[in-house]
This record gives sequence, C-alpha cells and structure tokens, in this order.
Amino acid sequence: MLEVKLHDIGEGMTEGDILHYFVKHGERVERDQPLIEVQTDKMTAELPSPGAGVVKEILIEPGTTVSVGTTLLVIETDEGGAVPIKESTPKTRPASARVLATPFTRKLARENRIDIEQLKGTGPAGRVTDEDVLGLAAKQEQPEPVKEAPAAEEKPAAVPVTKGQKKTIPFKGRRKQIAKRMVHSLKTIPHVTHFEEVDMTELMTFRNELKEAGRSISAAAFFIKAAAMALKDFPVFNAKLDEEREVIVLESEYNIGLAVDSPDGLIVPVLHQVETKSILEIHKEMKELNEKARENRLSRSELTGGTFTISNVGPLGSIGATPVINHPETGLMAFHATKEKPVVRNGEIVIGLMMNVSMSFDHRVADGAAAVAFTNRFKELIEHPKLLIVELV
Amino acid sequence: MEMRVKTNKLTMVQAVTDGLRTMLQKKEEVVLLGEDIGSNGGVFRATEGLMEEFGEERVMDTPLSEAGLMGTAIGMAINGMIPVAEIQFLGFIYPAYEQIATHATRIRMRTMGKYTVPMVIRAPYGAGIRAPEIHSDSAEALFTHMPGMKVVCPSTPYDAKGLLIASIEDPDPVLFLEPLRLYRAGKEEVPEGEYRVEIGKAARRREGSDVTLIAWGAMAAQASKAAEKLEQTGVSCEVIDLRTLYPLDKETIAESVQKTGRAVIVQEAHATGGLANDVMGVINDTSFLYLRAPITRVSGFDVPVPFFSLEEHYLPDTERIIQAVEKVIHY
Repeated sequence: MLEVKLHDIGEGMTEGDILHYFVKHGERVERDQPLIEVQTDKMTAELPSPGAGVVKEILIEPGTTVSVGTTLLVIETDEGGAVPIKESTPKTRPASARVLATPFTRKLARENRIDIEQLKGTGPAGRVTDEDVLGLAAKQEQPEPVKEAPAAEEKPAAVPVTKGQKKTIPFKGRRKQIAKRMVHSLKTIPHVTHFEEVDMTELMTFRNELKEAGRSISAAAFFIKAAAMALKDFPVFNAKLDEEREVIVLESEYNIGLAVDSPDGLIVPVLHQVETKSILEIHKEMKELNEKARENRLSRSELTGGTFTISNVGPLGSIGATPVINHPETGLMAFHATKEKPVVRNGEIVIGLMMNVSMSFDHRVADGAAAVAFTNRFKELIEHPKLLIVELV
Repeated sequence: MEMRVKTNKLTMVQAVTDGLRTMLQKKEEVVLLGEDIGSNGGVFRATEGLMEEFGEERVMDTPLSEAGLMGTAIGMAINGMIPVAEIQFLGFIYPAYEQIATHATRIRMRTMGKYTVPMVIRAPYGAGIRAPEIHSDSAEALFTHMPGMKVVCPSTPYDAKGLLIASIEDPDPVLFLEPLRLYRAGKEEVPEGEYRVEIGKAARRREGSDVTLIAWGAMAAQASKAAEKLEQTGVSCEVIDLRTLYPLDKETIAESVQKTGRAVIVQEAHATGGLANDVMGVINDTSFLYLRAPITRVSGFDVPVPFFSLEEHYLPDTERIIQAVEKVIHY
C-alpha cells in the first residue's frame, strides 16, 4: 500500500485545499500520473503519483482544507509492499510526535502565524530554530502576486438557507491572500493619495484615427507607456524601500503590474520591461495577460517582478479612489472613468473628455511634490499623445 | 540640593555591627540575645563592644540552648520588645526550628493579627570558610517554605546594614542570613546612621542581554565573577541578587528572564528542595514563552556539606557557572 500525502509543494506551505481528483476509486494509475489538484494560498498544483498501482481509497473529500502531511489517498501498488516515496516528498512525522522547539521559538511561530509542527528544524537534533521560523515568515511576507488555477470542478455546494440563517463564504485561497497582503501594505506603508484630472480629448481623437487605420489600441496601453516614461523621469516611484539595508532601491526595469479583476478576486499580472516595448506590443501583451488572468493561466514569471502598478478601473465606472499600494512598490496609479465634462479652454466653456487619476504613494520614500510632478508628467504625455510618440525611442 | 552622606568603609560583619548599633540607639525596645554575644562579642565579633555600650540588659548572653533562646525571643517580641537573636551558625538552628515553625511564624495568624512577632534571627550561614560539620549548612529553603516569616540574605556590606535595619523595623519575624564567606571578603562604603534596603526587592548587579544569572548570598558574588569572565568571551550576563529569599521579587526575575530568554540559578544549597527550584517555578509561571533554553541550576550536591578538603568541590565555582551559561547559550 502506498499512502499519498499532501506534501509541501513549495514555499513552506502548511495547508492546501483539495480541488479535484483526476482518478477514481479502483482506477489504475502509473507512476508520475497526476492524481490530485491542490490549491494553496498562491498556486494550484498537481500531485503526481509516487508509484504505479490501483487507487484503493480516496480519503479526503474535494473542497476540504488539509494540512501538510495528511494522507489523501491510498494506492495498492504493483509491488504489493511499500514503495519508497519520492525524495521530494518530505517524511511526515507520526501524529503523536511534536517538533522540537523552545517555548520562545514556538511563541515566535505563533506570532508569525506559522504552524511550527510543519517546519523542518535545522538546529541540534532537528530542533526548529528562531531562524527557521523567521526564514519562513520572511518568505511568506514576500510580495508575490497570487496565482491560481481554475476553480474546482465541484464548487462547495451552496448551503440551503432557511429563514433567519446566515450564509457564509469560505475565507480562504485568493481572498485570504488578498486580505493578508492588503493588511500588510496598509500596515507598513504610510499611504498618501494624490488626485489629478487628465484631459483625454486628444488621446481619444488619436485612438479614433488609429482605429480608422485598422489599429485598435486600448487607452490603457497608452497609460502604461506614459507611466513608464514618467517613471523614468521620477525613478523614485519605480523603487522599493529596503528598510533593513536602509536604502531605496531604484529598479532598472519598468515592469508594470496590471490590477485585474478576475472571478476569484484581484490579481496583478506584470508586463515586463515596458520601456523596450511599443504601445502596440504593450496593447497585445496586456490583452493576453488579462485573458490569462481571467482564466487562471498565468505563469509564475508573469506574476512576479513588478515595479509599479496601475489599476484601470475606468471601464467599470469610477471618479476617484484611494488605491492600496502593491507592497513593496512605492506607487500605484488608478485610472477612472473618462467622461464628457464642461471645461474652460481659452476663456470658453467647452466639452472636454476628462479622466481622473488617483496616485497613491509611499510617503516614506517620496513626498507630495514629487508625486504631483510625476502625475503632471504623466498628464502631459497623455494630454499630448504626439509628445508621447515623439519622446519614444 | 546635594545631600552629603557620611560613609565608612566597612566589611559586611562591621556593617552588621553598625546596623545593630544604629537600631539599639534608635529604639529602646531593641535587644540582642545569643550565645557569647555579650562580653565575647559573638563568634564572628558581630556584636563586639555593644554590651559595653548598651549594657547587659540590652545585649544578653544566653545559655547554650537554641530552643530556649528562640522561645525567649518570641516571648519578648509578643510583649513589646524587638529582640535580635543570634544563632551562631545556621546549622545550629535545628533545635530552635520547632519554636520558629510552630510559634514565631504562626502567632500573627493564630491571633487573627492581634499579635505580631517583630523579631530578627541573625544566622551566619554557608560554606567556604572551612568550618566543621553542620557549621556550613545552607538551609535557607527550610525557612522559605514557611509562610509567616521573611527571609533575607545580603551579599554586600551596604545591603547588610540596610536590610538589617529594615528587618528590625519589620513587624514580622525575619530570618537574617549572613554569608560567612562574605563577612570579611571586602569593604564597601556604608552610610552612617539609618537607611533601609527594602525587603522583597532584588538587586540587578549587572546588566546583560544573553542570560540571567540569579543568585544570593555568597553565590551572588560568584555569579558576578563568572559574568565578568563571560563578558570577555562575548556573553552578556545579567546578574540578579535576590537579597530577599521570601517573599521572592517575582517581577525583577520575570523582567530579566523575559529580556534575556535564558536563566541560570546559582545556589550553594543542595539541589533537591532548594530555593532555586522556586525561582524556576517563578520563571515558569511568568516567563515560559520567552525561554530559549531550559532553566538551569548550578548548586551544591545532594550530600551534607563535606569537610574542608572537599568543600571547594561541593561549592559552585565560576567554572561550573560558566559551563552552565555556555550550555544554555548554545542550547
């Protein structure tokens, strides 16, 4: 018999949701054949079969959250006896055994919301050390955008609601991850939001001209390019504050994160090296990323490495917001709905196509004046798209 | 305004004499009694000259009967006097134990607070001066187990006088332990006249961040020596001198251990049933979650204090303390 257990599939996960079984009871499986789909806080992964045989028992219902080390299914192997588990599968401890750790280390783990029993100690006699805990805590703090695969085929059935009964939604997976990151960002970064109004008339005209020429390019592609150009002039917003080293790290690439609303919640794919791409390329890539995000097909590299984030909420309709910065970045700019508004131009009231932008920034790293200057530069490039084109390399 | 206090450089035993003299002068109710404390000045000369100064009615020689001496002191105390009884060595107190355990410590409770027993029992104690059997006993735990009596134990001349005055003024019986080894171990500036060291307050002898050394009496000095040596190897020890063994200063113990995360308790008494175990209890109750290593004890062994040729092996020395510290640091 071979017990297939949930093992740490990376990044020190402590638990996961069982989404789906690719096999059924009594079915024959080959070594390395995918058996189970598991969702962690950050990703969805398939657990391959550690051996060949017949599925004898499926122990955990899909939709259940289980901790690392839990036996999920049992395979009757061809060899009959126990099959050595692949090296990548950590040995699980008997249920009664506890990891070795001092009370202080245990306290540290609790404070960092780490299940110490799932840690592998590096201290004497395998004791979990403070460093083991802090190392994992630091990893968990890493601002890696969420990646998720399609939701389980079998979604948890809606609980029949009788009168007076409250309905609950499971607070886990991406929702929980978003919550964690929002709290962390707001707790650590002193947010300040600066607002500006951008006249979109010329850009819209330009887009229409392009459209007539057979090139339909979204406004967001222009925003991304303009943002990257403005960031070049104000590199402090394309930076990360390294508190430990007491330095502000100015990034060399302009990797723009795009806040995307997906069925499972907010996700931020990253458009890498915007400075090397044309507006057309940006448009194409952005479309792809949006699609992948909605279908949960984003790769790890497409979810990491962002240096500045934009949130294009305009299509949903909005006039202003106080966006939360994608920690540890320094700034985030949100674009709101473009509306026809009366504006004064050359002493006359005319109809302008106006859009509000909200620029949140880390006030530890930059001040209001810099944020205004940065936004003005962005505004200039959008209000005069020819300038944007002229300044392109 | 600057206050100038006149001080004298005194040994611990001289500080004790000074404290007794101060209180004999201050309060007529204070009387001293004990074996050979009068014309002979006591076995360690702690009462030297006091009989001449204050007369036989206030500094009394008693027969060689510890039980009788203690009973007399208790009788005097409940009748308005403040007796300071000297037991020549703590190891000689056993015949008086019954008087202390069943009377001195219980009268206040027995009379629902109508009578208190304001007396002090002075008792030199501890090993390290090559005394014969029983003379070196470190039996403080027999008394800290007994509610109704305070137990204090200075480790410096300054504390000896200040704690003695506070003990004489205390309404309850106080066992005043004087570490033999420190009687003449060094001199310190001791203020003239009255001052008090509060009973129930430990002293932080040294600030440190890696480990807390908790000790009292002669071991407090030993712990400080070990801390000095450890400092040279980069280990920062905080040294807490308990000074009062009952009631314990739980706050200071907890505060220090919570800061350092490690504790080594040094006691000269036998390991089993010693006060170190109570200190461990305090740490467990207050600071468990802060511990980075098991609380460790360095103590005498579970044998009677041996004769002088083996005495040094029995007593915790700096080397044993250093080993214990290294053990908890590298746990």
